[in-house]
Amino acid sequence: MYGWIWRHLPGNAWVKALTSLVLALAVVYVLFQYVFPWAEPLLPFNDVTVDGQ
Amino acid sequence: MARARDRIAGIISVFGELLITAGVVLGLFVVYSLWWTNVIADRAADKEISQVRDRWAGGPGALDTKDGIGFLHVPAMGNGEVLVKRGTDPKTLNNGVAGYYTDPVAAALPSAKRGNFTLAAHRDGHGAKFHNIHKLKNGDSIVFETKDVWYVYKVYKTLPETSKYNVKVLDPIPKESGRTKAGRYITLTTCTPIYTSDYRYIVWGELERTEKVDRDRTPPAELRL
Repeated sequence: MYGWIWRHLPGNAWVKALTSLVLALAVVYVLFQYVFPWAEPLLPFNDVTVDGQ
Repeated sequence: MARARDRIAGIISVFGELLITAGVVLGLFVVYSLWWTNVIADRAADKEISQVRDRWAGGPGALDTKDGIGFLHVPAMGNGEVLVKRGTDPKTLNNGVAGYYTDPVAAALPSAKRGNFTLAAHRDGHGAKFHNIHKLKNGDSIVFETKDVWYVYKVYKTLPETSKYNVKVLDPIPKESGRTKAGRYITLTTCTPIYTSDYRYIVWGELERTEKVDRDRTPPAELRL
């Protein structure tokens, strides 16, 4: 999978490495900004109140 | 034959890469929960705290319930002042504040003649304002600062583990703490054990005295150690 992405990135090894880094950072950004805030309330790690439900 | 083998090897390697990816994503989620949410929450809380402080700068005045009703100081938790706002929904608490209950049992404000001032805050992440709740022992002070009054409470009972359905801990007279008469109580709730929320940790305190806020906002003796 990652090998396939690497082979299809344009440019020489340096350009590919740089593009990979940018892609990885973009993925981390999307995770922190959108995916984790959405997932967190669905997981039972951080409920602090008592309630009847 | 060789092609079929290549194909199987390819499928297995994609599967392996997916597993590694899942591991990295879970690791990042831990970083997010325990570090990044604190960064964001503390930033938001600092901003709100300075707004309230600015508004109070004119000296003592009537109870101010806009954007936070006051500050909680718990010397035993060693985390300075915690802004207290209305409500305990995640959106409020995620900003690094403590919230007073409006549901399922509404809290009594400290200024009320009798009742239970019930609060919740995060144990981990989102500012983790009640992270050190286990350090509170009987006799420790909990000080709540409003615009014009310091309310000094003393811890008299802790309940290290209870069900999240146990809403009775929020009652105006919290019988589980051993009290049977109406009084001016404070209840802190958060999750336990640390890093999960299987149970709830409860700390009860009772009002010992109040002090008027003076022009210099001189804190009560409990905060001057």
